[in-house]
Amino acid sequence: MQTIPIDSTKTDFFKISFLYRGLQLRKWRNLIVWVLLIPMTVFTLTPILYMFTASLMPAKDIMKMPFHWIPRSFHYENFVIAITGNDGSYIFLRNIYNSLIVALVCAATTVVLSALTGYGLAKFRFRGRHLIFMVIMATMMIPFEAIMIPLYMVTTKLGIQNSYTGLILPFLVNAFGVFMMRQYLITFPVEFLDAARVDGMSEPEIFSKIVFPNCKPAIATLAILAFRAQWDNLLWPLLISQSEKMKTIPLYIVKFTSEMNTDEGAMMAVAAIASIPMFLLFFSLSNYFISGTSVYSSRKG
Amino acid sequence: MKSQQKRIKHQSVEKKQARWGIAFVIPSLVFFSLFNFYPIINAFYTSFFKKKVLSLKPPTFIGIDNYVYLIQSSNFWNSIRATVVFTLGTFIPLLVSSLLFAVLIISIKKGNKFFQIALYAPAVLSSVVSAAIWLLIFDPRGLANQWANVLLNTWGADHNWLANWTMVQISTMLVYFWKYIGYFVIIFIAGLSSIPKSLYEAAQIDGTNSWQEFWQITLPLLKPTVVLVSTMSMLQCLKTFGTQYLFTQSGAPQDPINVITMNIYNTGIRDHRIGRASTMSIILFIIMLFFTWLQFKTSKSDDVEY
Repeated sequence: MQTIPIDSTKTDFFKISFLYRGLQLRKWRNLIVWVLLIPMTVFTLTPILYMFTASLMPAKDIMKMPFHWIPRSFHYENFVIAITGNDGSYIFLRNIYNSLIVALVCAATTVVLSALTGYGLAKFRFRGRHLIFMVIMATMMIPFEAIMIPLYMVTTKLGIQNSYTGLILPFLVNAFGVFMMRQYLITFPVEFLDAARVDGMSEPEIFSKIVFPNCKPAIATLAILAFRAQWDNLLWPLLISQSEKMKTIPLYIVKFTSEMNTDEGAMMAVAAIASIPMFLLFFSLSNYFISGTSVYSSRKG
Repeated sequence: MKSQQKRIKHQSVEKKQARWGIAFVIPSLVFFSLFNFYPIINAFYTSFFKKKVLSLKPPTFIGIDNYVYLIQSSNFWNSIRATVVFTLGTFIPLLVSSLLFAVLIISIKKGNKFFQIALYAPAVLSSVVSAAIWLLIFDPRGLANQWANVLLNTWGADHNWLANWTMVQISTMLVYFWKYIGYFVIIFIAGLSSIPKSLYEAAQIDGTNSWQEFWQITLPLLKPTVVLVSTMSMLQCLKTFGTQYLFTQSGAPQDPINVITMNIYNTGIRDHRIGRASTMSIILFIIMLFFTWLQFKTSKSDDVEY
């Protein structure tokens, strides 16, 4: 058998030059990556670090011209002022409690109602279900900012301003939740449901014992999204919570920062206290946060 | 005979099931009609009336006078200007840089989880908290001046972050950009990782470089995500409220950053002009509806199948 003669030196040369080129390219690319990524990371993380550092500093140090990133002493008084408030009324604790109640209740109702509706739309055949789905999806196009004034009028008529009912009622469930649960449950195996039906389970039982416990990832994502939306909500509480007692954390921050005698350290302590629950959630469940974000990308026409 | 009976029985089982399906859907449907459809219809209706919260007089029908008033009102046009400037100034940099950083993050092998989390971290903070942090950073003695002076080599200058007409607009954009960049980076990363690797391998065999790969493979296939991110960020920007509100409450001038939502709030709640506020709500709704429609239209036509 005759072998084809190969010019070995030539191929080696090609190989080497190819490798060399690849290495050079990678070097350049790495350089660009680090030159852009590192400053961006510094930009995103610095203000957060600033908040935590400043919350441990006396006000006069925060506004010193070269800023000291490491606090010289643990100035815990900031947190004391943050909690007692400028007038010593401890109203912040009450406001944290309000925020927790509203956010937890909204998260719970959103999850249950979305799952129920999503299940109804995904696994039952009845007339008009496509229409109902479209109608629910259409509400995504109504921005809350456009309906807040009529909603406010309704709450004044019902007399539920300054109450948990008023804070919670407009956010019991949202179209995105219904959409997400429906998409999640469409692939749920029908055999399980039929098997349960044959065993004589009633439909509500099937939902609560089989369907609901089996969509944990979707539920976790949705619960985080709903909790966070209420924890951050400024506009609606601003409209309907006029009494100090019924204010939520964002309102307290607005009030606290605009008071003339507020000290900067205490302001950052308030901000830190408000963010700690979210950071704890974020670091323990970062996958759900990130999937909650990327779930949006499946939202196509 | 027997089979017919069976069919009837089968039908009734199906009917019974369908009834359960309806029962499961009804609570949400009632909720959406009461808290979404009713208010928007009500807002539309109220926009034709002169209505004040505290007055005892019944609202008077004034036709399209509210709309006419707004079109002639310089305050309203200023709000439109503020919103448009803010939206364009925020969403274009957001779109471009979130795409850029998503590509960069995906191209590195080590630490891409870290960078994702680091860029996303500001999105965890609430908008009021982030505005409060930046309020201190933008203080005349704060970090923003110190850093800008180092970068621009202007020692001891005060850039009036929260006082100057232009600077206060830039400041709000910067806060928004900072808060949402990680959010959109992650959406882009999800989009990028759905592009099959085999396409890049094929391109490498054909001898393309990474620049060509980006323009000829990544970008065309990423178009749905690009459309999604641009619409989402645009809609987000159109309804911005928290940052502007906190800044003005703490002494920043209101006019440059008096966005539509803030104008609605002030007109409706502070000045009690419900009719006029409803008219603005309807205008905002129509603007947002237009952009949503645009997204549907552009994303439907080019769904990609691999």
